[in-house]
Amino acid sequence: MSKEDILIDLRGVTKTYERGGESLTILESLDLELPRGTFAALMGPSGSGKSTLLNLIAGLDKPTAGSIEIAGQRIDRLSEAKLAKFRSSSVGFIFQSYNLLPVLTAVENVELPLLLAPVAASERRKRAQTALRVVGLEDRMDHYPRQLSGGQEQRVAIARAIVNDPVLIVADEPTGDLDRKSADEILKLMETLNRELGKTIIMVTHDPAAAARAGVVHHLDKGRLQRKADGGEHA
Amino acid sequence: MTLTSLAARNLLRNKVRTSLTLLGVAVAVVTFLLLRTVVAAWTGGAEFAAKDRLVTRHKVTFVMPLPKRYIDEIRALPGVKAATFCNWFGGKDPKHDREFFAQFACDDGYFDVMTEQQVAPADLAAYKADRTGAVIGESLAHVMGWKVGDEVKLETGIYPSDSGWAFTIRAIYKATSRNVDKSSFFFHWDYLNQGLPEGRRDAIGWVTSRVDDPAHTAEVGVAIDRAFDDKDTQTLSQDEHTFQAGFLAGFSAVLYAFDAISIAILLVMTLILGNTIAMGVRERTSEFATMRALGFMPQHLRWFVLGEAGVLGLLGGALGIGIAIPLIQGLLGRFLEENMGNIFPVFRLPFGACVLALSCALGLGILAALLPARSAARVNVTDALRKLV
Repeated sequence: MSKEDILIDLRGVTKTYERGGESLTILESLDLELPRGTFAALMGPSGSGKSTLLNLIAGLDKPTAGSIEIAGQRIDRLSEAKLAKFRSSSVGFIFQSYNLLPVLTAVENVELPLLLAPVAASERRKRAQTALRVVGLEDRMDHYPRQLSGGQEQRVAIARAIVNDPVLIVADEPTGDLDRKSADEILKLMETLNRELGKTIIMVTHDPAAAARAGVVHHLDKGRLQRKADGGEHA
Repeated sequence: MTLTSLAARNLLRNKVRTSLTLLGVAVAVVTFLLLRTVVAAWTGGAEFAAKDRLVTRHKVTFVMPLPKRYIDEIRALPGVKAATFCNWFGGKDPKHDREFFAQFACDDGYFDVMTEQQVAPADLAAYKADRTGAVIGESLAHVMGWKVGDEVKLETGIYPSDSGWAFTIRAIYKATSRNVDKSSFFFHWDYLNQGLPEGRRDAIGWVTSRVDDPAHTAEVGVAIDRAFDDKDTQTLSQDEHTFQAGFLAGFSAVLYAFDAISIAILLVMTLILGNTIAMGVRERTSEFATMRALGFMPQHLRWFVLGEAGVLGLLGGALGIGIAIPLIQGLLGRFLEENMGNIFPVFRLPFGACVLALSCALGLGILAALLPARSAARVNVTDALRKLV
């Protein structure tokens, strides 16, 4: 595999937190390589460091040691401002609780990340409508989050995650708040994004059924990657 | 959607809270404006004082009289166009002993010097022809129900009289502008003087002079005082503004109290706004964390919070002014001018106070939001997002 094919490249990543005068190591000398177009799941027990790893890859946090390269860019060296720019242009976020702004309609929520890009208002609206069409919510554009079901809210969140055409989508327990049927629909949608649009997705999950949809599953325990498996092993 | 419309939407997130905050700010602004109007009404006389008039009084204190002969010497001084004198009477109508109004015993030249209080020539002639005649302001006439020809009896502790002081109202003066007192009672100084015991006669309270050239008011004042420098009773001459300001200084404690209450009201307004903004920021921690994750910078969040607070302050201030204008100009002002014109001849909302109130509402709104804005900008994204799960 050539270097250009690698989207996520972590080398010797360590993350420690200072809590009450004590040093707490969450991730220790972790190496991870993910090619472009991968749909990867991160699994592991609570406190194993899954979300911390996801935050580091998404540029929400910085490692204590080691290097993180995303699409050839060393993000662990970026300033706060450049990291924010990196997130807005290169990363799409899907959260467990959807995190939509309740004062905005579905289409306005999807537009939100584009407010930071030099895009005209009409173009912003067009792109947001297209993203909502992709997730099958063209008939719910003007609905507020409170008027949508959990599954629909998560679809809006997915539309928000893809609207700026990011190279990477990070999802933290995207089906954690959903019933089985809605969870399956969301996972199917994520599969489609990966397969048909070629999006690289990295998803933290506790749910083996969700992990089964991923092409590759990484298991973490006590801050270390334990093993790598095919998604099919969790089916 | 724009960043501005997003900030505006946040204001409408909790309509009840926003409405109550706006109302709180508006009430504070109305109270503030009411106090500033009281202060402006009280001090308005000094602000609108004539520039070409001098007031000469006893050098020691306003309450000590001057010899009556001084008026002739003052009238003879170069630069003095006209001069008049008055005594404070300090009386009351026993039939209306709750009503306070100022009474002055003045010489007949009074209305030549105080030209902003105008009497019809025929009425003035009738007044001058009647030794017990009196001229009253139109507001006083309205409040007391007096009219030309009515007989009035006043009592005073300064100039006691067994039978009281009887007057016949011969004229009602009108004011040429709103800020001129319309509630005073004037009568002949000679009538007062002749009714006093020998030892108290020929004493005058103060002299008011009109000078030829307003640019030389100060020099004329110095010349007047110099003329009496070597006499037993020395004088102090001041331009009308300084004289009235000095008179108001006697009430400085009350004015300071009004200022202090005004500042307290502004502080209350700041706390109302600060509390609302802080609550809003605390409730939206997860949203701010989400926005930060999506690429918004700390300064974006800071400006969101400051902008919201500024708009809230501005809207509250505008609402307060919107309430204060009809309340003060239409209802309260009209009532006070008609019924308490002696204290508040002009009770009108000063434009400057409205500008000050609006600026304070905006500025203090932003000030109140500084700490919440700092909290929003410094939100720990990973911690705030983790709390959601």
